[in-house]
Amino acid sequence: MTEDTQTPFHDFAGAAGDYYAKTFLKIQKSTLGKAHINIAATIGSFIWASMRGNWLLFWIGFFIDLVALVYIGASYKFKTAAINVADEIVSLTAAGNSAAASNKTLLLERYENWTGSNFLTAIVIFIIGRLVFGWLADRIYYRQYNSWRVDRSKNSNLRVNRLVLSAVIVALIAPLMLYRSTQFAPDARTCIKQDRAVTEGKDVSFKNRFDCKVISDFPTLFWIDRPDKISYPRAEDGTRFVKREPQTGKKPINLHTYTSGVIENVVGYLTAFYGYFFDGVVGVLTVLLNAVTAIFVGTPWPIMMGGLLVLSYYLAGPRIAIFVGSSLVYLALFGFWQTAMETMSLVAAATCVCILFGLPLGVWVGKSDLGRAIVTPILDIMQTIPSFVYLLPAVAFFGIGVVPGILATVIFAMPPMVRLTSLGIQHVPESTKEAALAYGANPRQLLTKVELPLALPSIMAGVNQVVMMSLSMVVVAALIGAGGMGFLVTRALANSNTGKGVLAGIGIALLAMMIDRVVQKASKASQQ
Amino acid sequence: MQEPTTKPVVEVKNVWKIFGDRAEEAMAAVQNENIGKAEVLERFECVVGVRDVSLDVYAGEVFCIMGLSGSGKSTLVRHINRLIEPTHGNISIDGVDVGGLGPEDLRIMRADKIGMVFQNMALLPHRSVRDNIAFALELRNVDAFTRSELANKVIETVSLQGYGDRMPSELSGGMQQRVGLARALAADPDILLMDEPFSALDPLIRRGLQDEFLALSKTMNKTTLFITHDLDEAIRMGSRIAIMKDGAIVQVGTPEDIVTNPADDYVADFVQGISKLKLVFAHTVMVPVEQYEKENKKLGSLKNCPTAGPEDDLDRLVSLAVDQDNPVVIMDNDAPVGVVTKDALLRAIQGEQ
Repeated sequence: MTEDTQTPFHDFAGAAGDYYAKTFLKIQKSTLGKAHINIAATIGSFIWASMRGNWLLFWIGFFIDLVALVYIGASYKFKTAAINVADEIVSLTAAGNSAAASNKTLLLERYENWTGSNFLTAIVIFIIGRLVFGWLADRIYYRQYNSWRVDRSKNSNLRVNRLVLSAVIVALIAPLMLYRSTQFAPDARTCIKQDRAVTEGKDVSFKNRFDCKVISDFPTLFWIDRPDKISYPRAEDGTRFVKREPQTGKKPINLHTYTSGVIENVVGYLTAFYGYFFDGVVGVLTVLLNAVTAIFVGTPWPIMMGGLLVLSYYLAGPRIAIFVGSSLVYLALFGFWQTAMETMSLVAAATCVCILFGLPLGVWVGKSDLGRAIVTPILDIMQTIPSFVYLLPAVAFFGIGVVPGILATVIFAMPPMVRLTSLGIQHVPESTKEAALAYGANPRQLLTKVELPLALPSIMAGVNQVVMMSLSMVVVAALIGAGGMGFLVTRALANSNTGKGVLAGIGIALLAMMIDRVVQKASKASQQ
Repeated sequence: MQEPTTKPVVEVKNVWKIFGDRAEEAMAAVQNENIGKAEVLERFECVVGVRDVSLDVYAGEVFCIMGLSGSGKSTLVRHINRLIEPTHGNISIDGVDVGGLGPEDLRIMRADKIGMVFQNMALLPHRSVRDNIAFALELRNVDAFTRSELANKVIETVSLQGYGDRMPSELSGGMQQRVGLARALAADPDILLMDEPFSALDPLIRRGLQDEFLALSKTMNKTTLFITHDLDEAIRMGSRIAIMKDGAIVQVGTPEDIVTNPADDYVADFVQGISKLKLVFAHTVMVPVEQYEKENKKLGSLKNCPTAGPEDDLDRLVSLAVDQDNPVVIMDNDAPVGVVTKDALLRAIQGEQ
């Protein structure tokens, strides 16, 4: 062991250099005992960590102690509550109300139980937590040493002045946490009442105010007068007009209620005065849907089944055709044929709309920086929003039924089409485009003869995604009356009819798998 | 070697290209204050791609532009069909200012006048070889029958018979580059722009394609701008060579000019390793007869000496001298004008004269 290997350890650790030099050397040689524990760290916990300048360890240690502290606070909370209840029992028995007293006795028992269990938990967490901390300490501290080797400005040595920062953090967090754990938090309703009492000038104790503002829910900071109640009735000549009814004299409301009222007014206004737009959308979609439904539902089952089999054989080969055949037999045998075809037509209609709008949008996003800047964030949001949320605007503007179901599906399933189209367009090699330009291609020729053909695999992947996402959303859209296989599942859920639910679920899964297989195979084949 | 004929086909005049958002400002500063490349980068965050290049390319010649990567040769050649707009300067083709063409005229010029071959071939993977070759014709709305007739003709020219219906991915790199060449030839353009066409190929195939292209260009008489980073290739292919460095042209000349008279150290460095066998001629290495006789014995009877003309290259002189003790006598119009001894020959091959 030369001097050289030891000096950096000493330089880094400062105080107790010998101990750390020995430990770090063991870590480097992989001879550190499995149960090695740093005693100083176990005792000092976050105080030790802050003096050593390791803030990760500080937060771990502080968190462990804080949790133990909160359990002790809770134990204290139930203990004082138990004393109060015991007093009440004494007074109730004195008043001869034995029924109420026996009720309270149950509560007393429960509180006493919780007092003990919380205290025990606190002890266990404290002891195990400290041991874990001691076990982690040297191992994490060694990482600090490694990063210090690279960057000497990193924290090293033992410094007492680092305690100032940790003391500030502890002082900011610990008292409030401790106070919160010893108090029963007031509920929101109590606090709203108390808030109103304060505005009316009544006297409320400081403790109650403090509890409501700090340890309960985030306080409602301001109260707003109710907006006018707005409706859009028809005048005698049939045109709609705006009717405002001021809501003076009623109690003020909070921001949430106010804003939701405003949103409802806006939606009401749009549907009342621009109804023709929404009607137009519904009309167009209905025509499309009718056409698709006529194919899927209107065709007698022998022709449809045969047609689907031949199509899948032609597009995807014999193995997948056999799978499709057996899936179709399952659907038919369990009486899902008609519903499955309804679902298929919903998926087909939604997919058509998605491609119709998604493809040009994707091309625009792929080719223009402006398009990318506008559309990408919208797509990000669309993909983050849970699918159920799409049902809300659909219902708000289009009511309940199949068409709003399709619209919600379209919004949900469009992003991959746009994304993958633009991805495909962007990935067309610059040199290929350059060659086309060098031979005198105009922008339209560049798009149709070079970019779209080269982006085709990506576009087909987009179509595949759209189909799959449409299918999943069409099932969800059954909640707003889109019908199809999803309706069977929602009905089974509502009636807690497990058997029927399972059968319908398998049907949906088979439907999804067979569409996926066929579309995937077909898109792969088209690339060759 | 083509001698410059009357009017140049491609005329490049004082072309500058500065890349960056503030190219205009940088250009003004360059003209007014004569600042250098580094300062342009520092002050305007712009990169000078091409620096004040003027060139004349004449009908039928193979004009090589040689430079290392980043020297701006590819950028320069893309100015000729305006894939890149110059920041300053003019390019004219057959006397027509390319910069003044409207979008439609520009497309017509690109389709009719200029064929371009790319280093990475840039073939369309979803089209057959024939459809790739006919691409330029298709863009000009030539009907399918004429297209395939013309394409078949070019397929024969580049000896790809039988491959017309294959897909590009089925072909080797050399074959693919033949397709690239065929595509450039299909529309029968006057000018060929070849952007390092053979650089990505392995040496044997490269050599074969070079020979084929040389033979082709002799029969087809197309004006060619040939970009390469390989001086050997430039010397093999070029009737004239321009050497570029940092966006500017260092030297323009015939291969022999470049090899025997490098304009500066940079060019000299390049030329050092080049074989002079085919580039240096007898008249540059011979010693006049009188001087030879003064230093050595009399020539005496010429019958024992091999003879060559003054325009014969070193390669030929070596084959003449190899099984001889006597020096090679250079004859002009049946009269001896000079003598090349074996020592002189060896020195000349080494590059010292």
